[in-house]
Formats: sequence, structure tokens, C-alpha cells
Amino acid sequence: MSANLNFVVAYPEIFVLTAACVILLVDLFVSDRQRIVTFLLTMVSLLAAAFITVQYGVAERVITFHGTYVADPMGTVLKLSTYGATALSLLYSREYLQRRGLFKGEYFVLALFAMLGVMVMISAASLLTIYLGVELLSLSLYGLVAFDRDNGIAAESAMKYFVLGAIASGMLLYGMSMIYGVTGTLELSQIANRIPGIGLNSLGLAFGLAFLVVGVAFKFGAVPFHMWVPDVYHGAPTAVTLFVGSAPKIASFALAMRLLVDGLGGAVEQWRPMLVVLAVLSMAIGNVVAIAQTNIKRMLAYSTISHVGFILLGVLAGTVQGYQAAMFYTLTYVLTAVGSFGVILLLSRQGFESDALDDFKGLAKKSPWFASVMAMLIFSTAGVPPFVGFTAKLAVIQAIIGIGYTWLAGVAVFFSVIGAYYYIRVVKLMYFDAPVDNGPIQAGVALRTVLSANGLAVLALGLLPGLLLDLCARVIS
Amino acid sequence: MSFTEILFYVFSAVLVVSALGVITARNPVYSALWLVFAFFNSAIIWMLLEAEFLAIILILVYVGAVMVLFLFVVMMLDIKVEELRAGFTRYAWLGLPIALLVIGEIGSVVWVKSQDDKALGLSSVASPAAYAADYSNTKALGQLLYTEYLYPLQLAASILLIAIVAAIVLTMRKRSGQKVQDIGAQISVKAKDRVRIVKVAAVQPETGNTVEGQS
Amino acid sequence: MISLHNVLMLSGVLFSLSVAGIFLNRKNVILLLMCIELMLLAVNFNFVAFSRQLGDLHGQIFVFFILTVAAAESAIGLAILVVLFRQRKSINVEQLDTMKG
Repeated sequence: MSANLNFVVAYPEIFVLTAACVILLVDLFVSDRQRIVTFLLTMVSLLAAAFITVQYGVAERVITFHGTYVADPMGTVLKLSTYGATALSLLYSREYLQRRGLFKGEYFVLALFAMLGVMVMISAASLLTIYLGVELLSLSLYGLVAFDRDNGIAAESAMKYFVLGAIASGMLLYGMSMIYGVTGTLELSQIANRIPGIGLNSLGLAFGLAFLVVGVAFKFGAVPFHMWVPDVYHGAPTAVTLFVGSAPKIASFALAMRLLVDGLGGAVEQWRPMLVVLAVLSMAIGNVVAIAQTNIKRMLAYSTISHVGFILLGVLAGTVQGYQAAMFYTLTYVLTAVGSFGVILLLSRQGFESDALDDFKGLAKKSPWFASVMAMLIFSTAGVPPFVGFTAKLAVIQAIIGIGYTWLAGVAVFFSVIGAYYYIRVVKLMYFDAPVDNGPIQAGVALRTVLSANGLAVLALGLLPGLLLDLCARVIS
Repeated sequence: MSFTEILFYVFSAVLVVSALGVITARNPVYSALWLVFAFFNSAIIWMLLEAEFLAIILILVYVGAVMVLFLFVVMMLDIKVEELRAGFTRYAWLGLPIALLVIGEIGSVVWVKSQDDKALGLSSVASPAAYAADYSNTKALGQLLYTEYLYPLQLAASILLIAIVAAIVLTMRKRSGQKVQDIGAQISVKAKDRVRIVKVAAVQPETGNTVEGQS
Repeated sequence: MISLHNVLMLSGVLFSLSVAGIFLNRKNVILLLMCIELMLLAVNFNFVAFSRQLGDLHGQIFVFFILTVAAAESAIGLAILVVLFRQRKSINVEQLDTMKG
């Protein structure tokens, strides 16, 4: 019995859960003026979690807790990135939240629980754990999106997010129930073992798989299940949008890897065509509709949809090279997205959201340095060399060509070129237009420093991608 | 056809009718009550399927807590029913084919194809034997839940905690002018703060005073 | 005895009724939430039926967790609904059109 309960590998989850509960209690005794204590405690917890994750990281795959928990090197790297993304987004959000009266302890508790949900999905070894991770993450995010409760738009987008998310969970569960019925087990490793015996012609399997893919596509925000993405990105307070765009993307990647690759990897021929449709539609709709947007948060939402298409391309390759490329793409995309939303937060002031495209006009005159940081982030998102976005796109396209889908690679390149148009437009607005808004940048030193580092990291990773590429190659094999 | 089967068909029919009631009722309160009825029927069918503990939980947790919460919210929010139903017929044509399509798909997969074995992929199509009379479903579930499912159980606990935190942070408001009880202040109060004992010099009643004020 | 196919068929009918209900009641959020509950009920039927068929209790455990999570989910959903209603005095989805694009 004790061999089946290996608590050591689950120390990161145990620590984060304990820390979240302690912070919830401590916050009760902290007055509004000293709320910074909660913030600092959260940051310290993230740092400690990273330390514990490295300290107790595993060299090879360990499945424990009676087949509900898996620890592997990929999980370790994904968890560390999750802490990083969470820490960056909370750091960027602090001043924004303070100005809008949202700087409350519950915000950090919800964020920590959402992060715990991401960790649970990363370490899920059974259908049940996947479901619980998805719900832990989603429920916390619903709460965060509606957090600014005097803001009508936020409540509206939270409601849309909730209804569509709950329907997606229903679909995911229906698929899981069919898979359980067909294979007779909830453990992903057992499912993988039993798939060859069942045969790919099983209708029950195909049926369950279709529902599962719909559920995964909803959580990813892939077309045609993307309806919630623009509204949530637009309606939520920018700090929450930043959070929704960061760690949960890592969770979606982990969800696809655990469910489709670890569990149903034997049925890759069945789910590949579905993902091809999702990926092509996502890249097409995401890039084309983004052109028409006037709100930068909405534009970045459609940009996210097109990037999801690229991540799915890597996953659908069904090869180790493809998974590595998808992981590299996810991690670098999260870094870039966090930075882009960070710039919006940097420019916002009391009563000024800075989320219209026009608010970026003439940024180069106001602050040449942050205009160049934003330009680096935008170029990376567009996939212009030498920034990291280019390396990521190249890796995914190589993986696709590796399985003989040259036409799909052509489609991906075509839509990237269309996408480049609206990214370059932002750069044009910043450098060649006269400023509309002349308010000074109010952000503090911490935000400025970290955001600058974030922008430079995108450039540095683009020049020297070897380190991260090697890491991805080492943990997925 | 055995007695169990007849019971199954009867309760399934009622269940489908009540599910129809949920989606077509004119008033959200009726919908909620139809849903309660659907849960009761489901509980009975689960009993027939030998899932006794879940059947009880469905009544206690779902009907007892969740549906009451629904009814509470429906009654609390003053919803204008007629306005919401106005568009019903406009979409009715859309709902029907979708329902038929999904029923058809599921039917073809589950019913038609499974007539010739293996197509569904299930290892055995024969019905399993019933459990022995002294078998306790609750005991078996409990043993699994608190040993093998230790990790999911903790996660479920965190989900409930997060639901509490989110629901409170979203809906609780501190209004001014509210009269609330401060228990700390109440129990720390001292007797001498509240009661003043005054020594009053005794006064000699005047003689000849009548008692008319007392009657 | 009740055959597996009958239960799966019943669950399929419930699931499709809930999907139809979501399309029919697109205007009323509270009915949408009830349709989602109906959808989860259909899923639970699947798990209970398979669990009995396979003689394996893990499916029933899954139902137990679905019931728990669904209770938490509806609590949050209704909380968001209350927040929305306080601002709009309506739960009509057609009025939820502040954001376009």
C-alpha cells in the first residue's frame, strides 16, 4: 500500500495547496493598507514552490497515488514555467489592481488555486484527475473574470465563459464516459495498453474520441469552439486577461498531451484529421478576424486563437519532434503574450485602460524604450526573425513536413503572412503616428525592470534558442 | 420481460417526459420542479442498476441542496417570464432537428451497431450477475474513496473551497447602515458598563394617599 | 435484467434533449444552467451503466466526483448570475451584447 502512495513526488502540489490555504487565513488579519503582505507571501510561495519542484524533480516517469498522479521531467518543466507565468502576471498586475480597488486577498488565492488546477492537469494520470484539474482551473478563472463586480462587461463575459465552459465540461465528460465504457478503466496508461486490443474500428472509441476532442478544443479556444475567447479577453479586467492568457495555455497543452498522447496515442490516426480541421480553421479565422479589431485586447484574443492553431499543428504531427515543437511553441508564446499584456498594463492609468489600438499611437515619442520592447514582442508574435516566435513557428512547420503534410505547412505559412499585417500595423501606429494621449507612464520600477527583461528574453531566446529546444527535447522522448 | 425491466421502462418514460418539461416549461420555477422530478426518477433507475449510494446522494445533494439553490435564485431575481419566452417559437424549428440528429447519431452508435457484437468495442454484452443480498454498495465505495482515491478526494475538497471563496467574494456586500451583531463586543462587555446601581433615598409615603392609580 | 443498450439509449436521449434545450433556451441563463445539469445527468447515467456492466466500481466513484463538482459549479454560476442581475435587472442573454466583433 505504501508503495502506491509516494508523497514525495507530489510535494509541489501539497505545498501550493497548503500555501494557498495559509494565505487565505493570513489575509483575514491583514488590513486593506497592508494588503501588500498577501502579495509578497504569494510571491514567496511561488519561489518556494519552484525550489521544491526542482529539489524533488524526478529523472523518469513515476506513477503513484493508485494511478491518479504522474510525475515526469516534462511535468517538472511545465510546472516551473507555470510558476514563472503566474509570478510575472501577478507582478505586472499589482499596480493595475491597486488603482482599481481590486487588490484583495481573494484575488491571489483564486490565482493560486487556478495555478494548482494547472499543476493537477500537468500531473494527471487518470481521466478523473484530468477532469478535476480542468474544473479547479475553470472555476477559479470564472471567479477571477467576474472579480470586478461593479463592471457590467466583466460580469457579462464571465457569464458567457461560464456557460460555454460548463457545456465544454459536459462534452468532455461524455467522451470520458464512452472511453471508460470501451476500455473499462480510468487510468490513462491502462487505456493506452488496451486500445490495440479494442481495435480502431470500434464505434464507441471513435464516438468518445470525438466528444473528447470537442472538449479539448473548447478549453484551447480553437475554432469553431472559440466563441468565449474574444469576449473574455475583452471583458475581463486587463490583469485577469493577462492571467487567462498565460498559465492556462500551458494547461491546455498539458491536457492535450496527457489525454490524446499518453492515453489515446494509439488512436492518433483517428484524432489527427479532427485536429487538422481545428488547426486550419483556427489559423484562418484567428488571423483574418484580427485585422478588423480596434481593441488591442480583442486583437490579441484572435491572435491567441491563431497561435492555438499552431500548437495543435505540433500536437497533430503525432511524432516526438512534433510534441517537442508544440511544447517549445507553448512556452515561448506564453512568455510573449505575458509581455504584450504587460505593456498594456504599463500604459494604463487611473480611469484609462489603454486597450484601444489608438492608445498606442506615437508611443515611440513618449517612451522610446517601451515602444521598442513592445515592437520586439509584436515582431516575435508575428514570427519575424530573429525573435523567438520565428524559431517556434519553424520548429512546428518542420515537424509537419516531417510527417508529409507539406500542404498544411503551406497553409500555416500563408496565414502567418496575413497575420503579419495586423501586427506590423501596431508597430506603425507606435512609430509613425502622432500621439493621441499624452499622459505620462506611471508604472513603478519593478514593473519597468521585469517588463524590459521580458522583452529582451524574447530576443535572447530567438538568438540562442538551443537551450530551451534542448530542454524540450530532453523531457519529451 | 421481467419485473425490473418493466419498472425501468416506466421510469425511463417518465424521466424523458420530465426532461422535456425542463426544456419547454413556460416558467423557470416549473422547469426547476420538472428537473427535481427528473432527478427522483433517475435515482430510482440507479437503484435498479444497483448504485444505491449514488441514488441517495442524488436526492440528498442534488435535490436537497443544488435544486433548492436554483429555486432560491429564481425566486430572488425578479424575472419577467413572458419577455424571456417571446423568442421561443423563433428557435423551435432549430432545436427539433438538432435533437433528432443527436438522437439519431447516438442511436446508430449505441443501439443499431451493438446488435452485432464488438462494434461498440465492449468486451462483454451479456448482463452481469446481480450482487449478493448482503453486498453493501456504500461500504465498497467508501473503501475505494478513502484509499485509492485519496488524491482526487483532496482535489474535490479544494474545488468546494474555491467555490465558497468565489461565491462569497462575488456576492457579499458590506452595505452602510446595516445592523449587524458584533459578538466580540457583546461578550467582552462588563456589567458595570451597562448597569448603574443608584442608591435612592427612601421616601416616606404621604399619609392619606389614595390607590386610584393602581386600579 | 436491464440491458446496457437500453440505459445508453436513455442517456443519449437525455443528452440530446439537454443540447436541444440549450439551443431553445438561449435567451434565459437560468434555464441554460438547468440544461447543463441535465447534460451532466446523462453523463452520470453512462458511467453508472458502464460501471455495472464492467462490474467495476471506479465508474461510480467518477459519478460521485461529478456530483460534487457540479454542485460547486452551479454555486459559482448562480453567483455570477446574481452579480449580472444586480447590474442589468435582467438575465436575458440577448441583452448581453455590449461586446461585438
